[in-house]
Amino acid sequence: MADVQHQQVRRVVTRPSWNTQQPPHANGSPVVGTVRRDSTPTPLRPPLRPVEACDFTCKVMLLGDSGVGKTCLLVRFRDGLFLSGNFISTVGIDFRNKVVTVDQSKVKLQIWDTAGQERFRSVTHAYYRDAHALLLLYDVTNKTSFDNIRAWLGEIREYAQDDVVIMLLGNKADCGSERVVRKEDGERLAREYNVAFMETSAKTGLNVELTFMAVARELKFRKSGNPDESKFNVQDYVREQSQRGSCPPCNT
Amino acid sequence: MASKGVCEEKKDADNNEESDVVPDFEPGASLESMLVTTDSFEELEQEMDSSFDERQMKESTTSTISEIQEELNDTTVPEDSSSEQDDKIIENDEVEEIASQLSETSLTSNEDANAAATPVGSLPEEDYWQNPEWKERKKHVFILSAAGKPIYSRYGTEDKLVTIFGVMQALVSFVQTNQDTIRSIHTGNSKFVFLIKGPIILVSVSRTTESVSQLVLQLTYVYNQVVSVLTSSQLNRIYEQRRNYDLRRLLAGAERLIDHLLNFMEREPAFLLGAVKCLPLTPSVRDSITQTIVQTCGKIKNLVFAILLAKSQLITLVRMKKYFIHPADLHLIFNLVNSSESFKASESWTPICLPKFDSSGFLYGHVSYLSDDCQACLLLLTVDRDVFFTLSEAKQKIVEKLRRSNCLEAINESVNRPSYTASQVGVPEMRHFLYKCKSTAQFWSPALEPPYHTTEESQRLLGLYQALHHHLHAASRPLKLLHQQLDKETMLGWVTSGFELYVTFEPLITKHSAINAVNKLLRWIKKEEDRLFILNAPTF
Repeated sequence: MADVQHQQVRRVVTRPSWNTQQPPHANGSPVVGTVRRDSTPTPLRPPLRPVEACDFTCKVMLLGDSGVGKTCLLVRFRDGLFLSGNFISTVGIDFRNKVVTVDQSKVKLQIWDTAGQERFRSVTHAYYRDAHALLLLYDVTNKTSFDNIRAWLGEIREYAQDDVVIMLLGNKADCGSERVVRKEDGERLAREYNVAFMETSAKTGLNVELTFMAVARELKFRKSGNPDESKFNVQDYVREQSQRGSCPPCNT
Repeated sequence: MASKGVCEEKKDADNNEESDVVPDFEPGASLESMLVTTDSFEELEQEMDSSFDERQMKESTTSTISEIQEELNDTTVPEDSSSEQDDKIIENDEVEEIASQLSETSLTSNEDANAAATPVGSLPEEDYWQNPEWKERKKHVFILSAAGKPIYSRYGTEDKLVTIFGVMQALVSFVQTNQDTIRSIHTGNSKFVFLIKGPIILVSVSRTTESVSQLVLQLTYVYNQVVSVLTSSQLNRIYEQRRNYDLRRLLAGAERLIDHLLNFMEREPAFLLGAVKCLPLTPSVRDSITQTIVQTCGKIKNLVFAILLAKSQLITLVRMKKYFIHPADLHLIFNLVNSSESFKASESWTPICLPKFDSSGFLYGHVSYLSDDCQACLLLLTVDRDVFFTLSEAKQKIVEKLRRSNCLEAINESVNRPSYTASQVGVPEMRHFLYKCKSTAQFWSPALEPPYHTTEESQRLLGLYQALHHHLHAASRPLKLLHQQLDKETMLGWVTSGFELYVTFEPLITKHSAINAVNKLLRWIKKEEDRLFILNAPTF
């Protein structure tokens, strides 16, 4: 794939600039970079598992009931399109990549889009433990999908890493008249489980970019490994940055 | 129905005539085959005769997947022994998972019912199955549990048809009380065909001309589609634990596969023939594609099948030594690929159970289209659930190599080229034909030309082939050769030990010229065989 090669080139170029920009935690990273460059004689040839070797690869997994809009959210983010018309049901897990820039460094998001149906759970469970971030979606026009969020959080606790970044997303926020889950309900649930929350719309693009950027930012800061930087809080960030949905913000 | 003109059985006397022209002629034949070549029909007969318990025994004693896994454990280094443990743990997980699902059902069943009820119109329950549009459907297919719970209805919503499902269950159990099994009911021009498969019952209500055994074959495919989604072991376990389980919960999203399969079977002669059609390619291109896959994937352990297909036609199939794929399993794979839009946009990783290969467990499939500019779909099937990234990488390499050797172009060219037509064969009286080579379970047919280019006429033609097939394969009196002069066409069917041939001619052709035309056709197929068929059976 041509893409992989490009990223390899980019990574070599971008790392030093990122390092100079972030002096406080530069100590950890350049060592890794130099070691790799010295040990591989031809930097252009991708290593055997480029995906694994990259320091800035984040694995993000989309979860939630069938039909809440996981694939649509992803396609909106990756291609800027909205899949209207036919319902395209995911079979198993779909894998897609997108490279985003966070503070001049490239972060490769490897996004795993899962099928919502129950029969695929045993396959998806196997991938929970490798995920760095989980985007848990419900549909604001479908009460059941919201009620099932607690069960999803239970599964996450059972199968995922303890430090996984979780973001709860109420999708289809554009469907004003059909809405059955209030924004406050989502916020309350997110507070209860101490996870970040946003309402999104794959149709209008509301908060879609922000969702993935917030995840990338959080993971980048975590990877930098500097305790001072751990002050970055994805929940605060999301609160500051999120746009207003169709429902007025609540200050409770 | 068209009136039958001549319908006769040709035995030795007439046979000499043909064998003079073509002794032991078997176009497309090959010493080795990658496909299992048992005729689905023969198998079907056996299956219908053996009781369910016997079949169960057979299934439980031979699990191909665990056989492959064991074999690999025998030969590999200790690191793999952990994977065996892993598997056990996962199995336990699955059991717990199902148990928890079962306990959850009572909580969520209400919501499920609501969710299912919302999209439907507000027809009152009693009137629903009186709905003329619903009643006029030519073929209904229903699935229900042995306890009578609705699982699937081809048309309409199961919830609104509960009474009908109740009647079907009553019919089945009424006959069962006398230690007997209901097979079919015939009334007027309708046939009610029943198939009881362990914990589930399948029913087809048809006003088509298809025979009972053809309808049973279709129901068997539907059952296999269900197994392909759940595995037979999961299916049986669920009902052992809870007889009144609502299977729709686990089949959610798979109705689409069954719908598509039923439509697919009404269009494609492949199911009737129990054979697979190949994409025409020059032998050197096909070999080079096959070699690319063999070289790239040869070292990947646990890879059972690599299948490349385009437009429901096989491009190549590479298999693990000793293991074969059944055409029926391949049909389910074609159905999965055709009915899943989501494969087009990304790489997917999905569990697939191939019922003929091993109905008790899942294979895991890496499914992806070769590239945006080549709409051939590659499936890499393995028994190992953790090798997605290895296979993803292998796929990239395969695509790069195929691009360099211009094979992608060759595939595109063949996909976009209009298929051969019957007139290109050079037999003017011939309109269409189906040719199946028995030793490789592959078939070929030309494109449908006028008058068969409309949906209605092409379905009528398939109906004629089905009738012809039925007469030739009738269990009580199988025929070798059949010549039927009908109102609008003349049909000729010929079954030998090597091939099956079904030909549609102009209505006024004489028997003698039909036989001559068939001989000419066979010679043409022989000439083209290395493009139309896969004549080897490559392994990793």
